[in-house]
Amino acid sequence: MMLGTRRNAFSRSGASDASVPADVVLSVRQLSVAYVTRRGPVQAVRDVSFDLHGGESLALIGESGSGKTTLGMAINRLLGSSAQITTGEVLYQRQGKVTNILTLNKEQLRRFHWQECAIVFQSALNSLNPVLRVADQFVDTARAHGQHDRGQIEQRASHLLRLVQLDPGRVLHAYPHELSGGMRQRVLLALGLLLEPQVLVLDEPTTALDILTQRVIIETLRQLKQELRFSMIFISHDLSLAAELADRVATMYAGRIIELGSVRDIFYHTRHPYTLGLLQSVPPLRGTLEDLRSIPGSPPDLITLPSGCKFHPRCPLAGPECAQEDPPAFVVGDEHTSACLRWQEVRSPRGEEAAIGEPSRVMHSARTPRAEEAAS
Amino acid sequence: MSAATSPLVASGTSRGLRGKSVRSRIGDIAGNYWVGRIVKAILTIYLVVTLTFFLVRLMPGNPVESFILNLVQTQGLTYPQAQAQAASLFSFDVNAPLWQQYVDYLGNLIHGNLGVSIVSTGTPVSVMILQYLPWTLFSVGLALLISFVLGITLGILMAYRRDTLPDHVLSTIAAFISGVPNYLLAILIVVFLGIRLHLVPFTAMRGSLSPGVSPNLSLQFIGDALFHASLPITVYVLTTVGGWMLLMKSNTTSTLGEDYVLVARARGLRDGRITAAYVGRNAMLPLISALAISVGFIVGGSTVIEQIFVYQGIGWILGSAIVSLDYTVMQGIFLILTISVVVSNLLADLLYGKLDPRVRIAGSQ
Ligand SMILES: Nc1ncnc2c1ncn2[C@@H]1O[C@H](COP(=O)(O)OP(=O)(O)OP(=O)(O)O)[C@@H](O)[C@H]1O
Ligand code: SF4
Ligand SMILES: [Mg+2]
Repeated sequence: MMLGTRRNAFSRSGASDASVPADVVLSVRQLSVAYVTRRGPVQAVRDVSFDLHGGESLALIGESGSGKTTLGMAINRLLGSSAQITTGEVLYQRQGKVTNILTLNKEQLRRFHWQECAIVFQSALNSLNPVLRVADQFVDTARAHGQHDRGQIEQRASHLLRLVQLDPGRVLHAYPHELSGGMRQRVLLALGLLLEPQVLVLDEPTTALDILTQRVIIETLRQLKQELRFSMIFISHDLSLAAELADRVATMYAGRIIELGSVRDIFYHTRHPYTLGLLQSVPPLRGTLEDLRSIPGSPPDLITLPSGCKFHPRCPLAGPECAQEDPPAFVVGDEHTSACLRWQEVRSPRGEEAAIGEPSRVMHSARTPRAEEAAS
Repeated sequence: MSAATSPLVASGTSRGLRGKSVRSRIGDIAGNYWVGRIVKAILTIYLVVTLTFFLVRLMPGNPVESFILNLVQTQGLTYPQAQAQAASLFSFDVNAPLWQQYVDYLGNLIHGNLGVSIVSTGTPVSVMILQYLPWTLFSVGLALLISFVLGITLGILMAYRRDTLPDHVLSTIAAFISGVPNYLLAILIVVFLGIRLHLVPFTAMRGSLSPGVSPNLSLQFIGDALFHASLPITVYVLTTVGGWMLLMKSNTTSTLGEDYVLVARARGLRDGRITAAYVGRNAMLPLISALAISVGFIVGGSTVIEQIFVYQGIGWILGSAIVSLDYTVMQGIFLILTISVVVSNLLADLLYGKLDPRVRIAGSQ
């Protein structure tokens, strides 16, 4: 499926001595990002670390404003000039060669973009240039990375458009405004796969869409992931979507990853009260709206963060020590971390011994007890 | 009508007949759109023609009448003789009722007959226009091109470097010079650069060509034409470029914030490609309609500017016609100025349709 030979995006100057486990493609280490504003720095991402393995999909979940988009953009160094990456490293590994994205020069970064890591943005409706046909935007992208055979590019574009269930004859020569929102979203997905990147970042790819189109895209993504075996960072505020697509889930609060674990652990062995709150605020499919428990209070001001655990003003489990000490990430299980001082007291609503099955299905059944409660 | 206009509609085979009717309806609308635009343009021209016709005749001391009296006095003609001569000059019967004169005038217009100059007796107005119009088209067209390209380039530059020193300096200059009236700048150039400092040989630059140079495709001719046009062009450019700069800066600034520009960067496109095809092209679109308005302004302004620099274009001739009460020439020139503004509006619409697929409709292709 490759067009031509892949040129290595990096020369020596971006290379890093840091060691990264062989199966990790992206390793984010102690990354912090702040936006400079009149009122002071907005600490949008704070000390975030995680590894993304080859072929893995990681869901990044959190309330609005928790820093998900900022993190996704920081990994690609796409943030505007008001944002500063204050600390950390973003290590990228291809064929045993490790590069720190944050030290790439402009041209190296340009070649890293899309070739190695593609990002589909939150507002896909406006992600395509309105004055260029879809085909031209595919050609533009391929040309920027050294592929010039228009026929070949269009052929590959057609193939990808079919993969995302679009009719290339209809879409390829259309202008963006002639496509519906769902079609544009899928065009971007196809565009994202054009150069066969190792990593695909999807920032809320279904948020603006109706439920049926959402389903189509999720299904498409699931199939694509199996066929093309790229790694994926899937940003969403919807845990049930994450459950369908992700291998691992990271929940973000006030710029920090506060719990990270396998989908199963996050759903059945929840070890952070905030994750628990997110699980309980998933809109019910069968129960009534009263089942929906939102987390009380609202996210903190990222300029003047509370002391200690940033969640303590809203946390039902908070104790006096929580206002004092900002909890480090505790290892609470196999490949499972939680930044909560009282993680041992957190009980998942599904019960620790809940039957293990496909999370999405169990999730729905997990709502049933609550639905029954409400009905009685 | 092109089938490529709307692939979605065109390929709406599942909708069968309905799809087809939708498509032809779009075609109808598009056809109507351009027919409507052209009808509107012709109507505008017609209104201006009518207005000038009646204005000239309703002026205090009917100019036709005073022309006849003038002939009687200066050339010793009898009144009927003078009337007959006036009739041939104005190409309508001065004795006929006003509506008859009006109808005759329109009839003549349609046949391209604009009458004969009153002052340079015997020269048809159309010949005069053909002689002087090219110089105005040349100077105004070139000025517009330079101003537009320069303004857009500087505007993009300012937007990319906004809130830096070059941006502040350019913004201030642009705001200042776009507030200076063009005739004032022209007078300042003549008085200071020409008369006081002798930096500009403005007397030698008078006219549209130096004596002895005739229009042909030689470098000498082109150089001389540019030499003589340079002062009007400078004035047009200086007084309009600031507007383009500021407009383009604000459009570029907002385009830079568009998602598709960020996505283009994320796609690893080269900066040049992004600036030209993603930022520049989108930021420029709203300026196309402003271009048409600008044509009107410059053409209108050329009347005064060409007077000041004694540049022999259509504006200069209009000025002389006004001074010497050459009504037929005035009428003809007003007509030409109107047509040029209306046509440039039409062209701008067409261009806009070509550049922005969102307004591109079947009929325009
Ligand atoms: N350009 C900016 N300048 C200042 N603050 C910003 C800027 N962009 C984002 N922020 C702030 O950074 C924080 C994180 O924003 P971000 O967009 O990353 O959140 P998010 O998790 O993606 O939210 P959502 O789910 O609504 O997309 C927010 O508090 C936001 O107000
Ligand atoms: S550390 Fe304390 S406040 Fe923070 S989540 Fe855990 S219990 Fe709640
Ligand atoms: Mg976001």
